[in-house]
Amino acid sequence: MTNEKREIEIRIKDLGMLFKDSRGGDIAALTGVNLDIYKGEFVSLLGPSGCGKTTLLRLVADLLEPTEGSIHIGDRLPREVRLDQKLGMVFQSPVLFDWRTVKKNVELPLEVMKFEKNERSKIADSMLEMVGLTKFANHYPNQLSGGMQQRVNIARSLAVRPELLLMDEPFSALDEFTKEKLHEDLLRIWKKTNKTVIFVTHNIQEAVFLSDRVCVLSPHPGRLSGIVDIDLQRPREIGIKETARFNELVTKVRNTFDGGSL
Amino acid sequence: MKTINKITSQKWFPMLVWLLAAAVIWELGAAVVDASKRTPENVLPHIWQIVGAAYSSRRVNSGQTAAQLVLASAGKTLSRAAVGFLIGTLSGFVLALIMKISKIVEKTIFPYLMIIQMIPILGMAPIILSITGDINTSRVVIAAILTFYPVATGTLAGFNSVEHEKYDLMYSYAANKFTVYTKVLIPYSIPYFFTGLKIAAPMAITASILVDTLQGDGGLGTLLSQSLKHAMSIYVFWLIVIFAAFVGIFSSKLMEIIEYLVLPHKRIRIFGKEAAVWAADAKGKKVFCGEFMRIRR
Amino acid sequence: MRRVHENTQVKAAETVTLPVLLGVLILILWETGILHKILHTDTFTLPLPDRILMIMADNAGKITANAGATVAVAVIGLTAGSVIGYGIAVLAALFRKWGTSGMGIVAACNAIPIVALAPVMTNWTKDVSRDASIRSMAAKILVVTIVSIANMSFNAFRGLTELKPFSEDLMTSYAATKRETLIRLRIPNSVPYIFTALRVAVPSSVISALVSEYFAEYIIGVGRQIRENIVLAQYSSAWAYIVAACLIGIILYGILMIVEGVVLKKHAKA
Repeated sequence: MTNEKREIEIRIKDLGMLFKDSRGGDIAALTGVNLDIYKGEFVSLLGPSGCGKTTLLRLVADLLEPTEGSIHIGDRLPREVRLDQKLGMVFQSPVLFDWRTVKKNVELPLEVMKFEKNERSKIADSMLEMVGLTKFANHYPNQLSGGMQQRVNIARSLAVRPELLLMDEPFSALDEFTKEKLHEDLLRIWKKTNKTVIFVTHNIQEAVFLSDRVCVLSPHPGRLSGIVDIDLQRPREIGIKETARFNELVTKVRNTFDGGSL
Repeated sequence: MKTINKITSQKWFPMLVWLLAAAVIWELGAAVVDASKRTPENVLPHIWQIVGAAYSSRRVNSGQTAAQLVLASAGKTLSRAAVGFLIGTLSGFVLALIMKISKIVEKTIFPYLMIIQMIPILGMAPIILSITGDINTSRVVIAAILTFYPVATGTLAGFNSVEHEKYDLMYSYAANKFTVYTKVLIPYSIPYFFTGLKIAAPMAITASILVDTLQGDGGLGTLLSQSLKHAMSIYVFWLIVIFAAFVGIFSSKLMEIIEYLVLPHKRIRIFGKEAAVWAADAKGKKVFCGEFMRIRR
Repeated sequence: MRRVHENTQVKAAETVTLPVLLGVLILILWETGILHKILHTDTFTLPLPDRILMIMADNAGKITANAGATVAVAVIGLTAGSVIGYGIAVLAALFRKWGTSGMGIVAACNAIPIVALAPVMTNWTKDVSRDASIRSMAAKILVVTIVSIANMSFNAFRGLTELKPFSEDLMTSYAATKRETLIRLRIPNSVPYIFTALRVAVPSSVISALVSEYFAEYIIGVGRQIRENIVLAQYSSAWAYIVAACLIGIILYGILMIVEGVVLKKHAKA
């Protein structure tokens, strides 16, 4: 992207996370992470399993408390943002409630936040339309395919108009065709809603295709090895994956990765 | 202060508190009963009274103390329960195997299995006694029937839990049916088998005691009814009750222990397709740390 | 493994006809006396089916009265125990640290033999009323209730705490309160587990009712009548009550299956 002065949304400073394993020893999940994320940016956290990318995401979501360093979202802590119900999180598995219809699943966060019945219904309908699942509003999750369930997952996370969208490998369990379609859908929705997105993945091509910047994390201990600017034009189409520039960037990202087995 | 914190955060602490609370409630109850009844021991004696009776050397009947009496009759009851239990376990397992091998057998027998669950076998103990005529046989028969159902259905569920990919794998090795059964189905069914055993063990014991009550010949149940009718000290009754409770619980735990010995691999909790690994954050709170499956141990 | 060349309709019919054939076979063996030879018994101890039916018809009133007593005990105890048990499970789920070990104790209580429990309850209810039949009812209902509590709370606890991965994280990300998580997530999740508990609890409450009748003061109830009649060597009557006991068990379980089918339609896996 260009070098204009942009508003910093998330400031991650000297972040570290230490776990204790079952024997009481220490695992350094993350050390010394410094990262600034701009408003409206699409950022990927990329790395193999065990490098701390999910941990980093969970720290931003206030599902974990850091052992060192700090995270600020705007001028607030993650906890305040979460308690303010401004967080949109998409997990690896769809986490839909079996006993609720698709539409009622999308309404779940709205119920928690005490939205009024008619408004809930309207918002749910528009979310389902955005992901193209209006026809399935009254189906049960068990009747949908994996890709469709993930779309419901995304619709649900957008229903509360969050400031921040955190996505933890949402497409890793899907086949390539569904994945490509969902990439396009995601970018379209992102363009329309202008959210700040932090996207965790282990797939280099996915990261390069979707993001403005790719943050490469390496394991043992988990650390930020480097950040690669993706200066590809938007809107991005599938065809861009054939271009030389795309593949240069993929190589650059791969080389930024440092150490540890894949 | 630090030691107090250390103690209260131990894993066994809540359990200890529960047990102490239970004991306190019992004692309170006993005290209330004491104050309001002529013969409080009949309703709810104090814990120390029961313990005292267990250790007392007073002869309760011809030549035995209370404790000896209970243990002697327990031996009889439990050994017969064990025989019935073993027979039931074996036949349950075999039937489950046959039902898996032959669809026809499964379809024929399955409703009857359900019926066995639905009808109160224990309630039919008297008639089984009459049919077999011999108290020992009837004891074994009832224990066997009661064990048979949980073991058979549990094992069958275990067999049916094997995903079809496992079959495909074996098919690709051109494995014959026998191999599939011994290398895949039976190992997979073992946890379910043990679940059935854990349910069946206390039931076999209950059955054995119940049959005792029907016809006196020295088992725990006979002792129970005699003591109830005041043919001997009421403390024998209480000792039997406590003993039976402990033995029931213990038999279930014993199955757990055997299962652990047979399947020594520690079970990582498996959620769907991924194994979730838990660690503790700095404050000792359990958290999901997802990716760290390859921690060196 | 099986070659799927058989006609699906034939297979469906088999599920019904095969067991029925077996049942008919057993009845024939019974009526003709062959069964008696197999079991080394006689038609006195094991009366022929038509004789049993005759006795049942003759004594219909008495049998129904006794059956009613047994069913009342079983159903009341089951309901009370299940409700209390579920409440305990909810408390245990909310106060997890204390709840998990508490559940360990409850699971252990599941293993206490009814024969130990029933006489104790009879003793405890001695003062409940001057009327022996009410005292006995109280004692029996107590036994069934306790057994049902143990069963339901254990299963309900699992239903309230064994959630799909990330479900709790999801609710946390909505800053949902514990109460909201309870109502929207845990309780609906526990519904299938409630039925798992009931599948065991319904037959076991019938058994507990029968067994506790042996130890009760007042002579009523199907179980007690079985015992009394056998003691008096009135085997035909005893068998009449046995058939009644079986019917009670089957009918109550059948009701459960119907209710389960209706309620769990939503939870059905595709």
